[in-house]
Amino acid sequence: MLFWVIAAILTLGASLAVLLPLAGGSKSASSSGDHDLEVYRDQLSELDRDAARGLIQPAEAAEARAEIARRILRIDGLASKMPVGRASVAARLVATMAVLAVPLVSWGLYVKLGSPDLPSQPLSERLAKNPADSSVDELVARAEAHLAANPSDGRGWDVLAPVYLRMQRFSDAAAAYRNAIRLDGDSAVRQAGLGEAIAGAAGGIISADAQDAFEAALKLDPANAKASFYLAMALAQEGRAKEAAAAWQALLGKLPPESPWRGAVEQALAKSGSPEVASGGTTNGPDASDIDAASSMSPQDREAMINTMVAGLDDKLRQNPRDPEGWMRLVRSYVVLGKADQAREALGRAIAVFGADSDEARKFTAFAASLGLTATE
Amino acid sequence: MVETGHFALVLAFALSLVQTIVPLFGACLNNQRLMAVGGPVAVTGFALTALSFAALASAYASSDFSVASVWENSHSLQPLIYKITGTWGNHEGSMLLWVLILTFFGALVAAFGSNLPATLRANVLAVQGAIGAAFFLFILATSNPFIRLNPAPIEGRDLNPILQDLGLAIHPPFLYLGYVGFSICFSFSVAALIEGRIDASWARWVRPWTLVAWMFLTGGIAMGSYWAYYELGWGGFWFWDPVENASFMPWLAGTALLHSAIVMEKRSALKIWTLLLAILTFSLSLLGTFLVRSGVLTSVHAFATDPTRGVFILCILTLFIGGSLALFALRASRLTAGGLFHPISREGALVLNNLFLTTATATVLVGTLYPLAVEAFSADKISVGAPFFNLTFGPLMVPLLLVVPFGPLLAWKRGDVIAVAQRLMVAFAAALLATLVTALFIDGASVFAALGVGLAVWLILGALTDLAVKSGFGNVTAGIMVRRLLGLPRSVFGTAFAHLGLGLTTLGIVGTLCFGTEKILSMHAGETVELSGHTLRFVGLYPAQGPNYAEDRGRFELIGVSGSPVGEISSAKRFYPVRQMTTTESGIRTMGLSQLYISLGDEGKDGSVVVRLWWKPLVTLIWGGGLVMMAGAAMSLMDRRLRIGAPSRRRKQASAVTSADLP
Repeated sequence: MLFWVIAAILTLGASLAVLLPLAGGSKSASSSGDHDLEVYRDQLSELDRDAARGLIQPAEAAEARAEIARRILRIDGLASKMPVGRASVAARLVATMAVLAVPLVSWGLYVKLGSPDLPSQPLSERLAKNPADSSVDELVARAEAHLAANPSDGRGWDVLAPVYLRMQRFSDAAAAYRNAIRLDGDSAVRQAGLGEAIAGAAGGIISADAQDAFEAALKLDPANAKASFYLAMALAQEGRAKEAAAAWQALLGKLPPESPWRGAVEQALAKSGSPEVASGGTTNGPDASDIDAASSMSPQDREAMINTMVAGLDDKLRQNPRDPEGWMRLVRSYVVLGKADQAREALGRAIAVFGADSDEARKFTAFAASLGLTATE
Repeated sequence: MVETGHFALVLAFALSLVQTIVPLFGACLNNQRLMAVGGPVAVTGFALTALSFAALASAYASSDFSVASVWENSHSLQPLIYKITGTWGNHEGSMLLWVLILTFFGALVAAFGSNLPATLRANVLAVQGAIGAAFFLFILATSNPFIRLNPAPIEGRDLNPILQDLGLAIHPPFLYLGYVGFSICFSFSVAALIEGRIDASWARWVRPWTLVAWMFLTGGIAMGSYWAYYELGWGGFWFWDPVENASFMPWLAGTALLHSAIVMEKRSALKIWTLLLAILTFSLSLLGTFLVRSGVLTSVHAFATDPTRGVFILCILTLFIGGSLALFALRASRLTAGGLFHPISREGALVLNNLFLTTATATVLVGTLYPLAVEAFSADKISVGAPFFNLTFGPLMVPLLLVVPFGPLLAWKRGDVIAVAQRLMVAFAAALLATLVTALFIDGASVFAALGVGLAVWLILGALTDLAVKSGFGNVTAGIMVRRLLGLPRSVFGTAFAHLGLGLTTLGIVGTLCFGTEKILSMHAGETVELSGHTLRFVGLYPAQGPNYAEDRGRFELIGVSGSPVGEISSAKRFYPVRQMTTTESGIRTMGLSQLYISLGDEGKDGSVVVRLWWKPLVTLIWGGGLVMMAGAAMSLMDRRLRIGAPSRRRKQASAVTSADLP
């Protein structure tokens, strides 16, 4: 409401700037000859000053004075030629249109372009309001502001890290876990979280760093399900499917019946017959709810869902092909689905994108070989 | 507040349309009331644009990420000063600054133009309004800074780290004051063409505007050059980069305009040429805006590339440049030519200056546009760099600089070159001496160095000779001389200072290019290195944390003659995590007029760091000369002849009597 009042006042002010001169009394016009004369008079006095200072010679000064005088005489001849204008119909029309144009153009354009209902949202106000009304983003920002001011608050990092993980801000999550470990000491949960963050940042590939973190977690708590699950996944990614299956089997045996990991392990085991399984908890992979949904579906539905996801990934890579992790996931997915031809075709496309001589291409070939796939046949 | 700013912007656009049409009709119909609309509308339009700009700046300062432009170019952790300067550190905001300055100049004409003939004033404001309307439309249609995001993101994407510097607070506003200041000269020219005649007050008005624009453009270019020098870490001060050229071309043309406007004011000669030059200067400003803003060139200035923007600016460019030149072709023949003069005279010298400067402008224009043309028509990419400009621009400048000291000493209409040469004997002898000393004692190998130093000394002493001669040095006693010196018109000081500044800049460039030394080496902590007589010890790399960056600061100790440290220089590499970008912060220590410059390179595996060191003798004179030129322009602006009153009844009668008494 306040905004509309301000807008109305501004419009009124702008309209007055147009209206007042139009309504004002007719001023006596000075012809341009008068103005020229003023300039020439000034030039003459300047000439006198220069001559008095000795900046120009008397002879030059006299000559210049004569020249300016000739110009003055010339305007006396011109001055009478100017016609005097009158308020004509055309002038009234222009004036009326101008007065109308200001509110019409401004309100018309603003209605099309503006967002009058959206209030200003300075960051400090957003962070100061009741946490219950805040979005997750705002809460995270608030925690970040707190941690920027108190970087040695280990508990703060510990709370924030899993939130980052859920928001898929993997490198932030890894940094937060590292801070929590540095400040509040080691724990299996933190190490396992760190490993998951590192793996997530690498697009689901469990690197040596991630593996170290998972192993550290297991050392602290041999019953940590997340670490065991991902270590088995690492085996699977290396192509050691049988060992992976055995590890998952062992994990399943140890898990309590109500453990949330059961679903994920069973899902992984279901596929462990094939040389490779889809990695869990990755940037673009299925999230926990997808997996839950998949495990409660009929086999046909599940198949359809997986196919949709893989097709989606394929499509994304066509638009945005410079994503090596994405290509590896796609190739792996086709192999898992038993579509060797499409896997090979995807591999060929991936190599074409980066060039046959590139590091990526060599990585792809090695990766495909580990899945039992060769580039060309 | 944000939406108030948006509304004010739209309202300012509506007013600019009124400002374009109503005064123009008024001038055609000779209707006083319609013409009177121009002034108040121009002032109100400026006030609304300022309100709009303030709203955007406050959104930036308060990190209001519901504004798309703020979200794209700001971050909550930035220091407040960079949050505010970030307002124009992006395409949308910088265009808003552009129109803010445009309307500011329009408002100045409206506020101080009461001594102008009514029709001229109306036409000038109309043309100014038309330029404003075009750019308001451009902003609203393609680059609206007030586009909102709902829901608002919680964190921004940060300002380009290279722009997180104090330079951003000075360089763009000054540069725009220069670019846009020339719009007034353009408006005056087009107004004169519309009327078909040039009033005597025309030249008096165009000259101060040219001076203001030129002063700020000089400052903007000098600041930009110094910023690039210390921020980019390459140790260079000018790269003949197309974006630099885009600002340099209006400067060259503006310098020519400044000089031809003197002839026009004093002698009513060169009218048509001055008019054309005013049109060309602003056209080059527009071209510069197009090159920088359209994304045709990739550089730190091209914030975002969007083809529709480029096409839009190209349309504005065609409309104003093509329109004004067409008007010129139609109307120029109706304008009367002015006074006559001999080739050897002050006028002649200024014509020579114009010839050289416009040729130099054309050279830079070709060097800048040719690569773009080649790329457009053949898909080949070529770059025209320093070698081209050194071979073309350099030879054009040397003869121009050689005759600079003659100009102010020559008399109007017909001058005596022999007498002037005699007065310049001292300066010439000193320049010759400086050349010989340089060749024999400092650097015998480089002819360029010796001649360059000689040229710079010639320019500096030539400017001082001008002041000495005009205050009667040698003919009168010291007391009278000082009195006469203080009594000289300010414009004489302006000329002398501008030419002195030119000499100082020349000296700085020659000194840096010819006597500078450079070393690149890999250093471990504790090692020392010597460069041109200065010993530096590398203390080590120290990590540090800034508000929104992490840095590795390399500390160096300057070792004095006694072996103990006399000072410290530190240079850093900063990493800005939001944009994943690294910047270099060069370490600079100023010693007298010279500087020691350190820039850090990559870190080696064994803990060593690549260090680039430069000794840059006299380098500060390059920008110091620019400041002196600005001071000259400021002094010239204070000259009393730029203050003309409006005609009044009483004075008119008095002047009529005076004119009747004259032959």
